[in-house]
Amino acid sequence: MTKIETTLPTLLSDIEAFYKPKEWHFLSVNGIDLGEGKIELQWIFSKYGVKDEVVIYYALSDYETPIPSVLALIPSSIMGEREIVDMFGLTVEGAQKGLYLDEDSLQHPLRGEE
Amino acid sequence: MKKTIQIPLGSQHISLLEPIRFKFECENERIIGVDADVGFVHRGVELACTRSFEFKQVGYVVARVCGLCAITHSLSYTLAVEKLLGYVANDRIKYLRMLMVELDRIHSHMLCLAHTAENAGFEALFMQIMGDRELVMEVQEAISGNRVQFDYISIGGVNRDLTSDLCDLIRKNLTILSEKMEILTGLFDNNWSLSLKYKGVGVLSLEDAYTYNALGPLARASGLATDVRAETSDFPYEALGYTMILESTGDIHARNFVRLREIVNSITMCQNIVDNLPIGEIQEKVKGKPKGEDIIRIEAPRGELFYLVRGNGTNMLERVRIKTPTFSGIPAMMEVFKGSQYADAPAILASFDPCMSCTAK
Amino acid sequence: MFKSILEAFKNLFKPVRTINYPAQEITLPSGYRGLIEHDHEACIYCDKCEKVCPPGAILFFQKESGDKEYRYNPWLCIYCGECVRACPKPQEALWQSETKQQSGVKEDSANEGWFVWEEACKKSRETYAVAKKTPKSKIKSEEPLCVS
Repeated sequence: MTKIETTLPTLLSDIEAFYKPKEWHFLSVNGIDLGEGKIELQWIFSKYGVKDEVVIYYALSDYETPIPSVLALIPSSIMGEREIVDMFGLTVEGAQKGLYLDEDSLQHPLRGEE
Repeated sequence: MKKTIQIPLGSQHISLLEPIRFKFECENERIIGVDADVGFVHRGVELACTRSFEFKQVGYVVARVCGLCAITHSLSYTLAVEKLLGYVANDRIKYLRMLMVELDRIHSHMLCLAHTAENAGFEALFMQIMGDRELVMEVQEAISGNRVQFDYISIGGVNRDLTSDLCDLIRKNLTILSEKMEILTGLFDNNWSLSLKYKGVGVLSLEDAYTYNALGPLARASGLATDVRAETSDFPYEALGYTMILESTGDIHARNFVRLREIVNSITMCQNIVDNLPIGEIQEKVKGKPKGEDIIRIEAPRGELFYLVRGNGTNMLERVRIKTPTFSGIPAMMEVFKGSQYADAPAILASFDPCMSCTAK
Repeated sequence: MFKSILEAFKNLFKPVRTINYPAQEITLPSGYRGLIEHDHEACIYCDKCEKVCPPGAILFFQKESGDKEYRYNPWLCIYCGECVRACPKPQEALWQSETKQQSGVKEDSANEGWFVWEEACKKSRETYAVAKKTPKSKIKSEEPLCVS
């Protein structure tokens, strides 16, 4: 498992340079609440045909900053992006609320206890 | 004037085992657009794992995410926590865990095959496969003491040992099953009415499989060589006769055949495990509290199951991320629907083997 | 195709594969995970089973005399056997039987009754802790205080 740090503005260019559909399998987008309004976002990839090779791109952010969508590069990221919108109440371009929760729900269950 | 009509499938539909809703945008009978709603059975398991249960109890909580792949969920979680605690299981524990996962794969694939046959209108075959599936369920019940919720794996080992009586039962039942599998393979290959519904229907091309990150039997039917069993080194799969099953056409028939051949492969592996079971303890004491972050990938019957566990040195975990196979397979599934007939939708859907309880967690 | 027609025809004369359940007994394999049973005499009341139980189906009611009472909810139990593995005296004080639990009916008040018990057990601990502390704090208050 390799962890590579990135920032939200440079995320798209980083992933565009890194991701090749025939080499890397995109696993998911993941969010981890770090408390005090901070959140860690992860984009997880694994390599086809190689043992134990997983690469995680991570960036730190907060609840308000809009997160760029990788949908144009990776079409299957839609599910993961919609999930973090639901679970953490974040804004991701092009992803709407309503995967698990109601579309007008004000809840964000996985945020840390306030 | 609008040229397309919207036809929904679900959330309650006769071809569905679990609630999911598709909104098909149809042009006459042909589907040109799909929208899916998957969150009907959301239970908040991820939240419960971090707020209500201590890390030693979470293994039993995540097993309740899904009934069919209960064993893979508890195994992935247990492995992730064991990695954080710095514990490596001995060979006997590894073999027993693998045995249960492979038995789980056999019965899950058989359920999917039965369901695909039913949705193609072959009710008798459904009954026949479900009847044969009892052979595996019997073995699992005898090993773990329960039919569906096995609760077999705990941190530091497995809960029950394999006695020689059980070994005999496994050998006996698996031999009967492998004979039945030959008849089934013939049926799926040669039956004319099944081939009408299966061959050339619901095709996922190799290009699309790469683009939409298809996984599990769905990807292997299209010729995409991905299998977590070959991509991780947690278990000695190669030593026990594992081979990757690949088909090339990517239609329902290919998906059925990937499943049929994987069942045969899993039966061989189970027999090898029972014959070569190493000697050792089945339960070892593991001390400490999980600290740090680790990931684990396991090949569940439907594809790759991914767990990310982060602990902070206390009894409560900070984050448990569950990524289930169907969850990341849905974009590829929606792609397959486009261009096919509406009447084929139930059969195509069944061939994906979707698990909504896993997806919505 | 013709093979499967022949097979279907043959099936007409084969015995049925299902079990005629209430008339015919289903034999469970030995080692079925059933109800958790408890022996009052052998138990040392260490509360270990209560702590490890994932759904919280075992509770101990604290009596004022210092004794504890074992309370178990068979409908909440998931029969994982974690309590038996945690028990310092397994098979003597706590063991897993092969008896199957019958489904609960309204008279059992499986939910409501248990909620009352849960409350009562929690309260009994608190009152016991307070009762235990009071004489101690009285002793403490007699001693001269070093830190104000």
